[in-house]
Amino acid sequence: MASPHSRHQTGGQAWFGLTIAIATFAASLFLWSDANAETLPEQGSVVDPENLVRLSEINEGALLLKTIDDGLYIPAPLMATDVQLDVSGPVVRAIVTQRFTNPSESWVEGKYVFPLPEDSGVDRLRMQIGDRFIEGEIHERQHARRIYEEARAQGQRASLMEQERPNMFTTSVANIGPGETIVVQIEYQDVARLTDGTFSVRVPLAITPRYIPQNSEYLLTSSNGGGELNVADANRITPAMMFPESEPEDFLRLPVSISVDLKPGFEMGQIASRFHATMVDRSRSDRALVTLADGPIPANQDFVLTWRPADETHPSAALYTEEWDGATYLLAQIIPPATLGADIPRRPRETIFVIDNSGSMSGASMRQAREALIWALERLETGDKFNVIRFDNTMEMLFPNAVNATENNVERALSFARRLNAEGGTEMLPALQAALVDQTPEDANRVRQIVFLTDGAIGNEAQLFSAIDQGIGRSRLFPVGIGSAPNIYFMSRAARMGRGTFTHIGQVSDVAVEMERLFTALERPVMTNLDALFSQDALTEIWPAPLPDLYYGEPVILTARLDNAEGAMIVEGQLAGSIWREHLSLSDTTQASGIVTLWARNRIRALEETRFQGAPPQTIDAAVLNTALEFHQVSRLTSLVAVDATPARPDDAPLQSRDVPVMVPDGWDFEAVMQRRNQSPVQHALLDENTLAMLRPSNAPDVAPVDSNGIPLPATATPRGIMMLAGLILMLIALIWMVANRERRLW
Amino acid sequence: MVRRLFSKRHRFGKGVHKDAATIGASACLAIGVLLFGQGAFMTAKAEIAQILLAKAWTRAIDGEIAPTPWPWADTWPVARLSVPSLGEHAIVLAEAGGEALAFGPAHLSVSPQPGDPGTSVIAAHRDTHFEFLKDVEIGDELMVELSDGSSVAFRVIDTQIVDATRSGIHPEGGPSRLALVTCWPFGSLIPGPERYVVWAERTEKANSSAST
Repeated sequence: MASPHSRHQTGGQAWFGLTIAIATFAASLFLWSDANAETLPEQGSVVDPENLVRLSEINEGALLLKTIDDGLYIPAPLMATDVQLDVSGPVVRAIVTQRFTNPSESWVEGKYVFPLPEDSGVDRLRMQIGDRFIEGEIHERQHARRIYEEARAQGQRASLMEQERPNMFTTSVANIGPGETIVVQIEYQDVARLTDGTFSVRVPLAITPRYIPQNSEYLLTSSNGGGELNVADANRITPAMMFPESEPEDFLRLPVSISVDLKPGFEMGQIASRFHATMVDRSRSDRALVTLADGPIPANQDFVLTWRPADETHPSAALYTEEWDGATYLLAQIIPPATLGADIPRRPRETIFVIDNSGSMSGASMRQAREALIWALERLETGDKFNVIRFDNTMEMLFPNAVNATENNVERALSFARRLNAEGGTEMLPALQAALVDQTPEDANRVRQIVFLTDGAIGNEAQLFSAIDQGIGRSRLFPVGIGSAPNIYFMSRAARMGRGTFTHIGQVSDVAVEMERLFTALERPVMTNLDALFSQDALTEIWPAPLPDLYYGEPVILTARLDNAEGAMIVEGQLAGSIWREHLSLSDTTQASGIVTLWARNRIRALEETRFQGAPPQTIDAAVLNTALEFHQVSRLTSLVAVDATPARPDDAPLQSRDVPVMVPDGWDFEAVMQRRNQSPVQHALLDENTLAMLRPSNAPDVAPVDSNGIPLPATATPRGIMMLAGLILMLIALIWMVANRERRLW
Repeated sequence: MVRRLFSKRHRFGKGVHKDAATIGASACLAIGVLLFGQGAFMTAKAEIAQILLAKAWTRAIDGEIAPTPWPWADTWPVARLSVPSLGEHAIVLAEAGGEALAFGPAHLSVSPQPGDPGTSVIAAHRDTHFEFLKDVEIGDELMVELSDGSSVAFRVIDTQIVDATRSGIHPEGGPSRLALVTCWPFGSLIPGPERYVVWAERTEKANSSAST
């Protein structure tokens, strides 16, 4: 019989045991749910208020991002860019210096998505820490990323340069200390574009926000096993954007300074910058130094510099060579005489106008496109046929088929053009396919031309390229780039695949000039079957291959690797039934540096383009990888990485990752762009997921398959061990307890 | 000894009916058995599933598309992974949801098929199917048989410890690679954020049709 005494005792035991049991059970439940939770992407729920600041807490210049809480801001890192162009002949060497400044009190990782000229040959990355330079090494993309991530984890300063698109790159800089500045320098090789006797070089500064098609309906109908379906890297090519009203007023957040050292190899006539005020120092006749007149400019409008020779009748051919690794690399630029084919009568044509009236075109861009279309419609002649197609996320054809350019029909088209408004998404594929449908493929009397007016703000380039390659037939495609920052990579590649030429209209006042140029090219005969011939033992490889058709005012530009730089080269082509031929002596060349890079860049570009003609991806990958590694080039498969051997960040200081939001291109209607995308303008981690959720507006992106950190891995540990252990302990406790009870009863 | 301990505690105890002791002990026992059973069940599930999977795998090789190992299963075998040097092998399942991993290694569907260009990712639990990963060394050969009867050989080139949210694994593009993923550290009882990755590169050796 138990005494009250022992009753007390057992009561104590019961509570003790129960507490342990419940605690253990709760703990195992917690572990179990924890393990499950890891399989899901982390959801931002609790925001660390440490990362947010109030205006009153800021006492120095820093960039702030608004959050959904009024009065609370997130500080972001600052970025300054300096671009130095060295132009000798048509060869452009560019040095881009990016200064990442960390205004915060914590260690951060800076990340900046920025544009470069399409297919620019990036071959050098240097990181400056104090007065030391650390040279970047070229590695296979994934390998480079792993080197970078290891360095980041070990607290070393490191930088990584990756290619997202041939004209879009990312630099990441790890472990920037509080208040510290890290300088990253990249170099690329470009070639000046020559049209109508005017050379031009472009420094892209703004990133065109890309529209990522959400609807896969079109994908099914269009691609014949093209490989890349949809846009897997959507979140890598849609960088964070800053609201225009959030841009600081008293200083530039992303200031860019530009200087150009111009040595074109001839006496210069007019030198002009198309969109920015410049100062030109011409103290020497064959050299000019160009700088920005009003100091640094914002990164929202591309910089374009043009120059013309003083003597318009300067030689029609220029050859540049560079010796490298036992071979001679040649860059040739040959201008066919302007009078060639001028007397051949204009042929009647069937012109299909496609005009983009999506949200990204809203504002100045739409006015330019409308003006250009009206200009072109008024230029139609009797005997021509035409049609107009407009598209946003819907599509409309003015006439069911191409119609004769009667006064009535043209009038109808003009009023259609005047009514166009920019809104909605950019579903380009169906419009392009409709334009490619040729009702009369046998019609030899008319030439068929597609004039495509767009800003190319799309991310599904690959699908469009396949559509062009498969559907082009006898049609020719003439993309007209609209706005301050069109997607030139898309436009020029589409032009090459559509065997047409690419025109860029940067502002409304350019419309007449540029459309005039395009239409002259459209109306003149085209030079076809271009070829370059070398003596038999001299040539190894020539790019581009085959040489593209030549429109009026365009030069032949080719790069070649030669085993033997002696003898002559012959360039020939066909123009309206007659043969044009030009002999050039290879002994009469100018030495220049960077030709090797241009050649390698052309080779990579040509290899990549075989994809749309059905080359197996493995073969392309292998060839691109080899070329890129051999010639030290950043490509789709290779990145440059620089690591400082000495660790900088103390072990116990955490690292935060920040994207530097890009600016909205000039002339863009921010609201229209963002409404159209229907997702947050600041898309990926500015600081961390939780803080990101605080940004205004805060809709989550719909597509986020693979982020820059690599794919998230599932939880791969069962709580089996801990459950069995906890179970055993509990059973043991119960046993001891029971034994203890029994013992007492026996007493 | 036990009594001494309890008699010390009794001063703090409150008056409760003596049956509470029995109830407490029984509850303790029941929960303990339940927990242990659940753990043991997981082990059994992992082991038995592989046997059922082996059968489904032969159906896959025979050409059946998505042969589920048991009627209500939401996953099916896609490949067979083996490490000849360790004598280990396992049937790999489609999609690494929470379910598939309980039964066997799972191939992440966001990554390409083993042997295709890009990095194919296979994940499994460190305490069951991928326990052997701790013994895999650089230079070891891995074989992956696919359901079309072909087999692909890989050689281990590196091992790495990463954070689950920052894996650094980019499935798309690049040479044909295999990443075997499991939790790190081995032998730990608590799930953690770290993952152990075994990187392997395709060797040109095998691509033979193994018709049986």
